[in-house]
Amino acid sequence: MTTTTAPAPTGTTLLDVRGVTMRFGGLTAVNNVDLTVSEGEIIGLIGPNGAGKTTFFNCLTGLYVPTEGTVSYKGNLLPPKPHRVTQAGIARTFQNIRLFANMTVLENVLVGRHSRTKEGLFSAILRGPGYRRAESESHDRAMELLEFTGLAAKADHLARNLPYGEQRKLEIARALASDPGLLLLDEPTAGMNPQETRAAEELVFAIRDRGIAILVIEHDMRFIFNLCDRTAVLVQGQKIVEGDRETVQNDERVITAYLGAPLEGTGAAASTEADQ
Amino acid sequence: MTTEITPVIPVPERAARVFTALAAVATAGTALTAWTWTADFPGDLTFYGSPAGLQWLTLTGGLITAVLTLARYGIPGLRWTSPAGGNNGILLAALGTAAVSWFAIIAIAVDLGGLANLEPGGWLAGLTSLLAVTGALGLPLDRRTADSLGKPNYWWLLAGVVGYAVHHLITRTLRLAKIERKLPPARELPSWAEVLLIIAAFAVGLFAITFGIDTEYGELFTGYLILAGFTVAALAKTGLLQRLRALTVKHRPVATGAAFSAAAAFPFTQTSDQYTSVAANILIFATVALGLNIVVGLAGLLDLGYVAFLGVGAYAAALVSGSPASPIHVAFPFWAAALTGAAAAMVFGVLIGAPTLRLRGDYLAIVTLGFGEIFRITMNNLNGTTGPNVTNGSNGIPRIPDLQILGFDLGKKHLVGGIELGRFSNYYLLMLIITAVVVLVFARVGNSRIGRAWVAIREDETAAEAMGINGFRLKLLAFALGACLAGLAGTVQAHVSYTVTPDQYTFAEALPPNSAFLLAAVILGGMGTISGPLVGATLLFLIPKKLEFLSNYQLLAFGIALIILMRIRPEGLIANRRNQLEFHEPVIPAQSAPEDAVPLTKAGA
Amino acid sequence: MHDLPQQLANGLILGALYGLVAIGYTMVYGIVQLINFAHGEIFMVGGFGALTAYLALPGGTTLWLAVPLMLIAGILVSTLVAVGAERFAYRPLRSAPRLAPLITAIGLSIVLQQLVFSFYPDAKKARVFPKIPGDPFELASVTIQRSDIFLIIAAPICMLILGWFVARTRSGRAMQATSQDPDTAKLMGIDTDRVIVMAFAIGAAFAAVAAVAYGLRTGQVDFRMGFILGLKAFTAAVLGGIGNIYGAMLGGLALGLAEGLATAYIQHIPGMHLFGGGAWKDVWAFVLLIVVLLVRPQGLLGERVADRA
Repeated sequence: MTTTTAPAPTGTTLLDVRGVTMRFGGLTAVNNVDLTVSEGEIIGLIGPNGAGKTTFFNCLTGLYVPTEGTVSYKGNLLPPKPHRVTQAGIARTFQNIRLFANMTVLENVLVGRHSRTKEGLFSAILRGPGYRRAESESHDRAMELLEFTGLAAKADHLARNLPYGEQRKLEIARALASDPGLLLLDEPTAGMNPQETRAAEELVFAIRDRGIAILVIEHDMRFIFNLCDRTAVLVQGQKIVEGDRETVQNDERVITAYLGAPLEGTGAAASTEADQ
Repeated sequence: MTTEITPVIPVPERAARVFTALAAVATAGTALTAWTWTADFPGDLTFYGSPAGLQWLTLTGGLITAVLTLARYGIPGLRWTSPAGGNNGILLAALGTAAVSWFAIIAIAVDLGGLANLEPGGWLAGLTSLLAVTGALGLPLDRRTADSLGKPNYWWLLAGVVGYAVHHLITRTLRLAKIERKLPPARELPSWAEVLLIIAAFAVGLFAITFGIDTEYGELFTGYLILAGFTVAALAKTGLLQRLRALTVKHRPVATGAAFSAAAAFPFTQTSDQYTSVAANILIFATVALGLNIVVGLAGLLDLGYVAFLGVGAYAAALVSGSPASPIHVAFPFWAAALTGAAAAMVFGVLIGAPTLRLRGDYLAIVTLGFGEIFRITMNNLNGTTGPNVTNGSNGIPRIPDLQILGFDLGKKHLVGGIELGRFSNYYLLMLIITAVVVLVFARVGNSRIGRAWVAIREDETAAEAMGINGFRLKLLAFALGACLAGLAGTVQAHVSYTVTPDQYTFAEALPPNSAFLLAAVILGGMGTISGPLVGATLLFLIPKKLEFLSNYQLLAFGIALIILMRIRPEGLIANRRNQLEFHEPVIPAQSAPEDAVPLTKAGA
Repeated sequence: MHDLPQQLANGLILGALYGLVAIGYTMVYGIVQLINFAHGEIFMVGGFGALTAYLALPGGTTLWLAVPLMLIAGILVSTLVAVGAERFAYRPLRSAPRLAPLITAIGLSIVLQQLVFSFYPDAKKARVFPKIPGDPFELASVTIQRSDIFLIIAAPICMLILGWFVARTRSGRAMQATSQDPDTAKLMGIDTDRVIVMAFAIGAAFAAVAAVAYGLRTGQVDFRMGFILGLKAFTAAVLGGIGNIYGAMLGGLALGLAEGLATAYIQHIPGMHLFGGGAWKDVWAFVLLIVVLLVRPQGLLGERVADRA
């Protein structure tokens, strides 16, 4: 297990976030946050409720247009359009699962292939050999991902009929279908029991072994520290510390934030989780 | 929902079964007697030994009830009609027979002015059909348990004492449960036999639909609808329809071929243009509804002004048709006119879609509704007085010449295989080709990268965007494709109806096609399916056409029917394949989601 | 342009009418996300309810007495129909696919129209509605019909009452809570069914006020009047920002003004001389809607709803 110390990236930089700030009216949900993720890394993002973690995610994936700051991937500036971000190579899951409820498990993953295929309307109508090949490749790839996440047996079930834990897995499989270089996981273990959480850990490592870097938001400290090479702590929209397990665990500000003692200048950011 | 298998009337099962079967056979038998003394009632029900009109329906209903009852007896050779078991199907068939018989009795009494006009045979039909229902109520039925019912709903008192009594009878006395019984695995048949079964099924379907289209008077059509409705429900309960569906899925090319052959055979069963014109118009309506289904059913975009795209196509075709009333004096060949119509409709689709499809929510609904009205108003205004003269205003563009395709004049009669095909038969067959094209487009695109992206957008646009789908572009594509297909159908419609006028393209009108009826056809039939809009459109076209005896009340009846149907079956007559998958899972109860499944529909909303 | 003040006044009066009907669309949409297509017909039956009351009064009753009674009757009929529709047609479909209630609404709209058409005496053609007799008022260069006085008084009163109700009363706050988040509201002990009925009832009552105003203004009611007015009112609700009650009124006024001004002045724009006048007013109203949606997609007073992930 890799446990390199703080800002010493192993490979080339994938994600480079500089000075991202997000304000909603007078409310600053995310304040001047920098973050980098390099190839092969698993980075954690923790913070108390309302710290602006999901808002930060939404800024990265183009769902929100950051008030200030830039996000670049592999050296290219990302446009604030979710589909362009995915095309560039960043895939995500959602905190409150958002599957395509009335599509089958397989179809959900096939939708994930959308940005890596380009068959248009006419080739769908004419169904030439190129179309068939692309379709069967997508199908194979999707089935391979379902095998990987252990859902292959349920490929024909409707997504909404899966139990909770499998819905989480399906969301990950769907995200992986877009062949991302970086996967953003928004609270992947929320609502899971300890066994399921351990299984999720295994899955995250397995994904990293496929050469995909991971940025993960979590509440579960143990999960994060078992998993992550580096962890950043977000409190009231600001990144207060970033580093390995020891650095974060021993940081006084983190302890204060989690035990609830008010920081100086309390106010604004407290209620941002309301709009997540 | 907890269910039990109990009879409504507690009698021994065997006795009830024998009684039901005998009563059903007796009901069928009464169709051979005279029901009334005078030939004044349409169809002439005065003969012994020769059923006519409504009597045929009672005969059919009685026989179906008898067959289903005997099938549950375990009589070999009949068991295939009731693969799922259960007796609810028998009750439905018996109810349908009773409903159609009593409808006949009431119709005779009303038409001829009094119950005195009934012969004993009529009374006998009413009596035996009720006995069959009574017998069926003695069979063990799938019902809700008495303690699973909630408090009585006294709101129904507002609907009057009778309304409350009916409500009470249905929900608290009968307590029929809507459970899906599991089908036992089908017996393996050689595939040629399965193919033959499919062909036989479509032949029966063609016969049933032809019977409906050919009904000559409203009473017969009403009776037909009553019986057809109950019979389809009964066969769905016995599992026969699911079996058939499984077969068609297994042999899809054969099933599609059989369906189109059956449809193409229709004009050859006709001796005059009277009903082929109806059928041609049904096809136009159904094709447009299928185009709308791409927009509404697949991409989830609510288009309330869709008929305007049909209008754009029709007007474009009329303008370039060579009609002397068109200010543009050109006569395009059909292929060019069809392209013009489709392209014009697509341009309008993009013009309307581009500004509105970027927005979320129901803005599209109001913009399309507005567009539909604006189209009509504009066509009315471009008459030379209130605007430049393009369309002749409310007089429309008349005298559109008949189509000539490759030297074949669609306006003339032709002999094909010894059978004369008239003008409307020609157009019907042309329209069938266009319908086939639209079905092909729908089926292929629906099950492709593009179609999956549409459904994903419909399900959750944010998640779809996060999968790399350009929501705006794909929605615009769906909208433009839908408009284009409607425009294509419009080019044929212009020629079929000789004249295009603005008032053919309104939001709601007594006769289809109009936007409200189109949407109703899609949703009533079943969103996202191919057969749904086709069935929905056929019903919605035939009902107002055939129920002219209701004259002033037909729109009223249509409105009431819409409300009731949405209450009984909000997912539409033909459930989506995706809904069918519900029954794939072994333990999912029909009504409630499993406890550990997240209610995805509301997630993040 | 010397008649500009007159055109503005006409536009505002028409707009207030649209606004009153638009409230019904916006309230129901805000709470259950349903386009209550039948609302135009709720408006129409209100007009016929009022007419019935007028016909039942002995001839020669002063309008000072008749108008309030007509108003009560209209409100009663509209509200009953709307609440009944909610209870029997819409409520059973709460958990049905999203478009099912819309079909029900279309069906209901046809049913209401046809019921009036078939069973109301002589309703096949427009029925005469009383007008307030007397000369029009002249204020500087603006002429205002006496019948319009009813609307000029009623519309602001309605808005004040509604504003007070929503902001100050317990039921009003329950309504706001339900429109923000029905599930949470339910958990907080709010009877959401009651709130929904209330939204339908209030919308219907306002529609009835509008129907009386419409009758007095045009001197007639007919069974088809609900469709185009309902369409305009819904446009107004979207224009103002759907879900926002003040937006509905503002949207109505904007729409009325746009229609009035377009009818009067478009033909003076060079090259557009054929596109002015009453025949094109609906077209211009619609063009306005598109332009507003392009510039301000959430409507005039609507809030931009950020999507939540």
